[in-house]
Amino acid sequence: MPRYLTQFFIRFGLIAFTLLSLGPVVWSVVTSLLPLSALTSKPPDLNPLNITLENYSLVLDSSRGLFSGLVNSLIIATFTAAVGLVIGSMAAYALARLNMPSSNKILMMILATQMFPGIVIAIPLFLVMSRTRLVDTHFGLIVVYLSFILPIVIWILKGFFESVPMELERAAAVDGASPIQTFRYIVLPISLPPLFATGVFAFIEAWNEFFFAIILTRINVKTASIAIAEFSGQYQTLYGQMLASAVLASIPVVALAIIFRRFILEGFAEGAIKA
Amino acid sequence: MQTSNNYNRSRYRLGIWFTAPAVIVLLIVLAYPIIASLVLSFLKVRFGGDGLTFAWHGVTNYTDLFTNQLFREALFRSVYFTVVEVAAVIFLALSVALMLNHPLGRSAFYRVVLLVPWALSPVANAVLWKWIYNANYGILNQSLIGLGLIKENIIWLGTPWLALNMILIADVWKAVPFIALLMLAGLQNIPSYLYKAARLDGANAWQQFVHVTLPGLKTTLVISVVLQSIWALKVFDLIYVLTKGSPADSTVLLNYLSWRETFSNLDVGYGAAIANVLFILMFMLALVYIRALRPRQTAQRDG
Repeated sequence: MPRYLTQFFIRFGLIAFTLLSLGPVVWSVVTSLLPLSALTSKPPDLNPLNITLENYSLVLDSSRGLFSGLVNSLIIATFTAAVGLVIGSMAAYALARLNMPSSNKILMMILATQMFPGIVIAIPLFLVMSRTRLVDTHFGLIVVYLSFILPIVIWILKGFFESVPMELERAAAVDGASPIQTFRYIVLPISLPPLFATGVFAFIEAWNEFFFAIILTRINVKTASIAIAEFSGQYQTLYGQMLASAVLASIPVVALAIIFRRFILEGFAEGAIKA
Repeated sequence: MQTSNNYNRSRYRLGIWFTAPAVIVLLIVLAYPIIASLVLSFLKVRFGGDGLTFAWHGVTNYTDLFTNQLFREALFRSVYFTVVEVAAVIFLALSVALMLNHPLGRSAFYRVVLLVPWALSPVANAVLWKWIYNANYGILNQSLIGLGLIKENIIWLGTPWLALNMILIADVWKAVPFIALLMLAGLQNIPSYLYKAARLDGANAWQQFVHVTLPGLKTTLVISVVLQSIWALKVFDLIYVLTKGSPADSTVLLNYLSWRETFSNLDVGYGAAIANVLFILMFMLALVYIRALRPRQTAQRDG
């Protein structure tokens, strides 16, 4: 194939890829900014003079449950990320550097837990949590989310800790630092960027989760995902509002993903295909 | 050497303390429920006025399963969904990764384009497609009518076989970016001297793809297929928002069926039996993933 033809196909493919990826997203945002009358006329009335924020103010009304859903998601995702980072970084460091016996087997087991269908653990967890009154509490959901955040956090951070030069730790030991001091004052400070970015990843995962949220919440801790799903069932003819709630719940996570794209592209993608 | 020994011992002890919290969380939230789920699947569980009652039920839940028409259909549909979804995702993700690895596609803009569908909340994704597929006002019908390709609105989510495939398309759209990211990382790990050597031997672009790119991507491809199969078997959010299993249960897949039997029909033991079938399917896939990772690891250690 001549060179200019290859170039033509790749340019064409890139345009198609961009349109197909962004098209549905752009259309959702446009929809959320239009009044119902504009959306239900055929063809849809895209006159920019119609643009309004009415849908947003309506869905944020407290009676709709979206606002409290966003607050609940924020609480749950923040705690999941924070606790996951503390516990996960400790375990990752132990597996990377503290001569744990058969640390690779532990790692493989941790990784395998990533692959259980949620429903298998959801049924017994629901029974136990109803008895211990943990259903419909922030705590209950955070603990469950930790179980699938931890394997990823450990997996990724272990890779970073292994790349910390051994000489640094040896030098600290020679200066009389105990292993825990070495971890606290040498390893953690130079790992801040990956720690922070791993936390962002955990936050996104916990924010987006739906399956456990629908099983383990009732009224009090409904997350944003639940609020949107309920909304799309109850008010499914209020298209603009339905999309406005979806856009609102997506803004934080999409923004985080774009800001931390370099880390996600290099860290996670590499981590998943390398042991 | 006494001090060094002490130092090593204290490192080891710290290692135990450091791993303990994570292991405890995983044991409580994963290991216990997995065993409990196995036990539950042999019980008949009833929700009474005074709570739950359990009775031994033998393998009846499982024998019921395989004589049940809906379960067999859901199993078949799950396998169909997974095979087609994974094939489509791998093909599209590989194409995207190759384009983004080409000098023309290296700009940061395309990386952002790739991340947007990935980061989108899955429920938001489902709502988005519900609106696109809307029979009366959805953009899909409006565009197809506008282009003159169809004369009347198609009820995308109200026609049995069609509805499943529309869910499949929405799922593929959401899944391609992450797998493309994995493949992009895999492509960048292929040393460029291999391509140079191939060109010196007179290989054209296609031959380079077949003899350098594909072998270099082998591990990545295996991992992508396994991970995506696991995720496709788990599909839930889309079904919940788009169809709730309708029309006529034609979009009921295994994960959804297990959830519905347990939490709607309150047949906990039967739901657990379905969940365990799903678990076995995924566990076999997980073994493949771990095997795929292992050889490279030993190679690294030896080197």
